Amino acid sequence: MHVRTGGFPVLIMAVACLPAGTGPGQTLSTRHRNAAMPEIPSKDDTHTTFRYPLRWRIMDALNGGLDRFWPARMSPYTGWALIMPALLLVGVLVLGLFEMADNSLHTLDRATFRLSEAYTLENYQTVMESATYGRVITRSVFAAGLTVFFTLLLALPYAYIMVRTTSSAVRKALLVTLFLPFFIGQVVRAYGLLIILGTTGVANNALGLVGIEPMRLLFNFPAVVFGLVQYMLPFAVLMLAPALTAIPRETETAASSLGANWVQGFRHVVLPMAKPGLIGAGLVVGTLALTDFAMPAMLGGGSQDFIANAIYDQFFRTADQGLGAALALLLVVLGSVIVGIVISIFGAGTLGMGNRK
Amino acid sequence: MTDPIAAKENAPRVARDVAVRASHVSMDFGNGVLAVNDASFELEKGRFLTILGPSGSGKTTLLQMIAGFQKQTAGEITINGKPVDAAPPHRRSIGMVFQKLALFPHMTAAENVAFPLKMRRFNPRQIAGRVDQFLDLVRLGGYGDRRINALSGGQQQRVAIARALVFEPDLLLLDEPLAALDVKLREEMQLEFRRIQHQLGVTTINVTHDQREALVVSDNIIVMDGGRIQQQAEPVELYRAPENPFVAGFLGLSSFVDGSATADGNLKVGDIVVQGTSARDFAAGTRVVAAIRAEQIRLAGTSEALGACDMKLEGRVADTIFEGERQMYVVEIGALSGATFRVYHHDPDSFGLFRVGDPVALGWNRRDLKIFSPAA
Repeated sequence: MHVRTGGFPVLIMAVACLPAGTGPGQTLSTRHRNAAMPEIPSKDDTHTTFRYPLRWRIMDALNGGLDRFWPARMSPYTGWALIMPALLLVGVLVLGLFEMADNSLHTLDRATFRLSEAYTLENYQTVMESATYGRVITRSVFAAGLTVFFTLLLALPYAYIMVRTTSSAVRKALLVTLFLPFFIGQVVRAYGLLIILGTTGVANNALGLVGIEPMRLLFNFPAVVFGLVQYMLPFAVLMLAPALTAIPRETETAASSLGANWVQGFRHVVLPMAKPGLIGAGLVVGTLALTDFAMPAMLGGGSQDFIANAIYDQFFRTADQGLGAALALLLVVLGSVIVGIVISIFGAGTLGMGNRK
Repeated sequence: MTDPIAAKENAPRVARDVAVRASHVSMDFGNGVLAVNDASFELEKGRFLTILGPSGSGKTTLLQMIAGFQKQTAGEITINGKPVDAAPPHRRSIGMVFQKLALFPHMTAAENVAFPLKMRRFNPRQIAGRVDQFLDLVRLGGYGDRRINALSGGQQQRVAIARALVFEPDLLLLDEPLAALDVKLREEMQLEFRRIQHQLGVTTINVTHDQREALVVSDNIIVMDGGRIQQQAEPVELYRAPENPFVAGFLGLSSFVDGSATADGNLKVGDIVVQGTSARDFAAGTRVVAAIRAEQIRLAGTSEALGACDMKLEGRVADTIFEGERQMYVVEIGALSGATFRVYHHDPDSFGLFRVGDPVALGWNRRDLKIFSPAA
């Protein structure tokens, strides 16, 4: 048998060349492996080129400390420990909700300005029977719907161009434009819109240049929706961008090679594949718009109140905590029902964390 | 008065039924190197062409230009005699199977196959029948209702093929769709591509870096390197008669020897004249390189044991590599200033005939040692 014996003499020589005791804890098998690569000279520990980085030492020390504080046998509970702060936070909110629910079942005694002792559904009855609150609720829902529609309409092309552009300058410009409004609070932005849309504002001046009489652009329903869309756009784009990034460019190329022009490709391939992102963004924008306070307050000028403004009035103007609490709970229920309906029809989109419906 | 040259140029060129013609096509991405450099080729109708080359050779760019996803910076591409340079991809009658397949995950297998028919406005009443017919062709009958994610890798390949062929395109392009598959599945799909291509007779251009795939599936092979077409030939001819050292080295396993040309067309290394053959005449003393394939060298313990050979040389075994069905020996020839030759030894009875350091003799016939100009 002469099979595969060619390398043996070299191997034995290499083993003989190794310094005695090449390292602590080195077993016969690892020494054998070193010997099988005779072209790599074995190095003294003093000449090693690899130094254990300081960063690693620090991490080791931290790990050691953590092991004492949270021993390995506790590891089954690590998940619970990590979620605890979040549970506490949500728990406090839920407690507050219970408190509010309790409040909503007492009416305000206008003589003492304290809540009545007896439990009653009168506050809910007041809301249901009031035409004003009916209008406020309808207006909030309608405005939220419009805001979702227009925001997605504008955010989709924005996100698409940002994701697909080959020019990094264009992408950076779009990103900066997107993030800039985040540094400016909602109130400041609403105030900016007041200046722009005012009777003597930039918009009316521009219209004046083409001979159109100044018109009232503020303190009406469209102004509020405009403000909301303007406010929500960055959120929607940020939620759509990852969904669009997840669509391989090759699928669009494939669509065009199969005979789809750009519009057909977008309609039949990009849009359905972006659906999870659209649903996720729509849900976030919708709930934020439904519960918004600043835009209707500032751009609506008191004539375009949303539910949040009505709640504010009850708590801080008329000091009717009971009625305010009832309105607040109705808002929570309304929002949950709408979100529930959307999820049951379309699935949770990107908010579903990969669970396809 | 008619201009005879113009008349000839304007005459319909149907004599050989050319499906695809590229003339002097170049692609300049503006980074100082031409991705495709003056590529010209013709492909007859119904033939299976493979563009073979290492990564970065420009083969994918060439395919993208034929598909219309990129526009060449020079030259012209015609499909069935008509220049297509102005046509966007969706106006070309080209089916393409993509490297990552690019199936539509929100559709079923059948909906994927129906997509090009819908986009190309086929008669809606015929679509269902045609989709079934092509799913049967790729042996996926009954899988039409499956979601793409519920299909195996091989089944997804088949959907992609059906989708690219269902509208009966003039041309089928394959952009390395088999590269990501494991060896067994890849070999199975290679034969499937061949079967389907023969059955439909569709003109096909395949791009790959896998020389075995190119030899197995193609009627015709173009080897590309550095943006240039190195050689276009039928598989056997390409393998037997490479035109330059690159092709000789890219297909099969070749050993190379540097030397100078002799007046009688052989190779001179030091004082030794090595018998070889060349497709062209070199002036004596020109620097040349010679290549010989590993299976064309005979190996024995002594020169006498080699039998009749045009050329015999003695050397020593420098390395032995066991490859399963055969043994490869690396043999160093001291007389050729230490040039090494890689030799396949294919004897089922005597694996490991020689050991490292053993003296051996190599022999070959004159026609098998090819002499080329050195690669630029």
